Amino acid sequence: MAKTADQYFDDLRETRVWRSIFRSGTGASTLKRALAIQQNVFLHLFSTKVRTRMLSFSATWYLGTLTLGTFFILVATGIPLMLYYHPSVPQAYYDTKDLQFVVSSGLFLRNLHRWSAHAMVFLVFAHMFKVFYRGAYRTPREFNWVIGVILLLITLLLSYTGYLLPWDQLAYWAITVGSNIASAVPLIGNKIHFLLLGGNSVNANALLRFYVLHCMILPLTAIFFVAIHFWRIRKDGGLYAQSSEPAVLRSRPVASEKEAQ
Amino acid sequence: MKHWATSLWQKLFGDSVRAFGVVSIVFLFSIAIAPAKNHFSEWRHYQHGYLKMIRNRSDANTLQRHFDGGIQQIWLPEIGVVDRCTSCHVGMKEGTLRDVSSQPYRPHPVIPHKLDQFGCTMCHRGQGAATTVAEAHNSTLAWEQPILPAKYIESSCGECHRGSLPGTPVLNQGRKLLSRYGCVNCHLVRLPDGTTIKATDAPPSLSHIADKTPREWIYAWLKDPQAYAATSSMPNFQLSDADARDISAFLIANSTPLAGDTATLSAKPSSDPAAGASLYGESFCASCHAVTNAAGNVVGGDVGPELTRVGSKVKPEWLHAWLQNPRRYDPGTGMPHYRFNDREVATLSTFLLGKTDSDLLSNVHLDPATPEQIAHGKRLVSDYGCASCHEIAGIKKPENFAPELSRIGSKSITQLIFLPGMSHTLPDYIAGKIKQPRAFSPALRMPQYSFTTSQIDAVTTALLALNDRSTSLPPSLTVPAAAESNYQPAGKAGKLMADLACFSCHRINGRGGDMAPDLTWEGSSVQREWLVQFFKNPGTLRPALIRRMPRFNVSDSEANELADYILTVYQNPIIDRDFVPPGDDSQGEIELGRQLFYGKYSCQGCHIVETKTDKGYIGPTLTHVGSRLTAAWLYQWMKNPQALRPGTIEPNRAMSDEDARALTAFLVSQKGVAPKEVEKK
Repeated sequence: MAKTADQYFDDLRETRVWRSIFRSGTGASTLKRALAIQQNVFLHLFSTKVRTRMLSFSATWYLGTLTLGTFFILVATGIPLMLYYHPSVPQAYYDTKDLQFVVSSGLFLRNLHRWSAHAMVFLVFAHMFKVFYRGAYRTPREFNWVIGVILLLITLLLSYTGYLLPWDQLAYWAITVGSNIASAVPLIGNKIHFLLLGGNSVNANALLRFYVLHCMILPLTAIFFVAIHFWRIRKDGGLYAQSSEPAVLRSRPVASEKEAQ
Repeated sequence: MKHWATSLWQKLFGDSVRAFGVVSIVFLFSIAIAPAKNHFSEWRHYQHGYLKMIRNRSDANTLQRHFDGGIQQIWLPEIGVVDRCTSCHVGMKEGTLRDVSSQPYRPHPVIPHKLDQFGCTMCHRGQGAATTVAEAHNSTLAWEQPILPAKYIESSCGECHRGSLPGTPVLNQGRKLLSRYGCVNCHLVRLPDGTTIKATDAPPSLSHIADKTPREWIYAWLKDPQAYAATSSMPNFQLSDADARDISAFLIANSTPLAGDTATLSAKPSSDPAAGASLYGESFCASCHAVTNAAGNVVGGDVGPELTRVGSKVKPEWLHAWLQNPRRYDPGTGMPHYRFNDREVATLSTFLLGKTDSDLLSNVHLDPATPEQIAHGKRLVSDYGCASCHEIAGIKKPENFAPELSRIGSKSITQLIFLPGMSHTLPDYIAGKIKQPRAFSPALRMPQYSFTTSQIDAVTTALLALNDRSTSLPPSLTVPAAAESNYQPAGKAGKLMADLACFSCHRINGRGGDMAPDLTWEGSSVQREWLVQFFKNPGTLRPALIRRMPRFNVSDSEANELADYILTVYQNPIIDRDFVPPGDDSQGEIELGRQLFYGKYSCQGCHIVETKTDKGYIGPTLTHVGSRLTAAWLYQWMKNPQALRPGTIEPNRAMSDEDARALTAFLVSQKGVAPKEVEKK
């Protein structure tokens, strides 16, 4: 009898090499499957069990996963872009030009990064609206909503800092306007403005600052908070589904109704 | 229809495995577009085309060996050049491709620089880093420089070369026009070396204008200067009748009399009706002044004003005084002080006053000026910046009257307002502004010049050279212009040279005109007797040129004074003053020189010694050279003419000392016959 693809895969997982790398063994039992998730450094952030219903498109529209996907694309394209880019005033603009003119598939790389960044901002908002209108931010998930808002801010900051790096007129004036908005903060506005730009106007210091923020500080912070975000999903009882909420919570009237009573 | 769509959806995305597969394939294809786009890039296409083109040529092997595939670039970090133009323009350096006329394979014309010395965009502008045709030539982004049209290409030479070059006639003409037409009187042009362009149009002072011309002429002139003289450098301010009336009223009212600028003559003009014309000819007035002849051609020099209708302009009493001594009315004039006697003045002024144009003033009827008109005229004179060019008593020369043009060649297109239908490029804007300044706004005060299209292109070329790069170039790359000196000869002879306006035509120690020979080393070159004789009765040395040097009727003492000064001061240090000339007895040497002249060096190609047989019309006639030039000068000239006169077309034949000596002996023996007649006299 011919083996199925699953059987070949099971055989592979029985080999000594596989077993030496992955601690969980084979087997279709719930325990084994749960172990496979729980004992993996990356996967253990997620719930060991997910309801099949929650994996359907309609439940989440996959917005969180898609956001993560764009983030991966951004990291994967951002690293090669860093190889072709100098964050210096005389060089930055010509480096972005050279991506177009001489780097093999450089324009594709740059455009992929750019469009993925736009997509990520859009998806993050969409994700937030979906969570909000489904009420998935409610107890016990309030804190994960807060983490989400922090991630939204980081995403916007990543988008904003990346905007300066091509060092063209659009970049220069967008950051000039944006940083002037920051200086409208009461009392410490000018200090923030100075801190952000490393000076009183957009110049070489601002370029360097934005480069470091965009390529190191913000991505690392994002990864840190994404990890917490995922871990909290598990801790807060898995992906939110209205039917899964405890009956107490489900029957609890909303505030306005309560007041009306 | 709906059924068909549903079944297709089921087929492609019916279950997760199908959906995953279809999405993966679509994604794979879209990713494959990137390397494919890279592979079908324009520069690759042109390089394939080049290889195909050279394949069947006889010099295919050489060309193939010179060919480098891939993106090519000229990288000059110190001047910020990254030019990848040669990725498509592959045959740029291949002289053997001269027969190829199609771009991008045409070889570059021969220029004085190596092609990779400065790259492409330094001269042609455009975006050097680009590797696509559209991006390289007509960049879509406003702050980039599109490619410079070929007719303005010499402007790029002017970025480094601040002086005039033999290979850039358009640029030289444009720069000259900026000075000649007084553009720089209103527009400040600060050059990268910190100096400013000086005007050379010498506009007359208007402080004593009433002594010189009637008000009617001023009115007609203000209305249309070119109607009086086609060559006038005064532009047309397109004044209304009332404005021209008021300005003329103000100028007359503002004019003060000047002692000695008018004269009444007792002498009668010569009775011979042709005497005036012949005196005009003998005095070589036409060397500087032009006249429009019956055929409409302008004949004569452009140093002084055109005289076609001078009889309608000047008052007779003023003209008499002017011809007697022009320096009384205008101490700085370029006109020489001819030593005319009263009879000659009368004859010449009668001739000049006959040059009238009845149409010019026939329609001008001016009522006596009112104080309001004069006041309004004064205001107009200030508004139009007349005092930027002309000296006018009581009106200060305005500062920064018009926009500074020191960086006009880098003006950003976003700062320009174009006319409808005009192409949005800087050269077109500048040319349009010169062609019709008031078209941009009737409120502009810039006047209308009567430039030809080629003159407009020349001025545009000169202005485009005034750009950011020309100011930021490393000093090692710039070629400064020869500094204009303010050399002033000293003493009595110096005064005499000023009186005779020698510098209007001759250049000495870096100052002066370019019509006549440079006299900086004249003292080393000529013999005293010849020079004195030349002052008394000048002639031309070259058969191909018409004589331009006027006879000033100088006295013997003046001629001797000048000759002494020139012989003493204008000496070239490299001339050996102790040079022992070959004696008259050295017949052998003279004969050897004659053989060298006609044989080895074939000097008769350009010069004439035997008037009957020689046909050289390029260089000076040498029949009298032995009584004109010094032997020491001749010897040095044979050895290295360029050292004595840089830029002379006399070739340097690298002569041995013996040959130079023999030729000198031969030339010194060419004393002609004229000097003997002079001695008799």
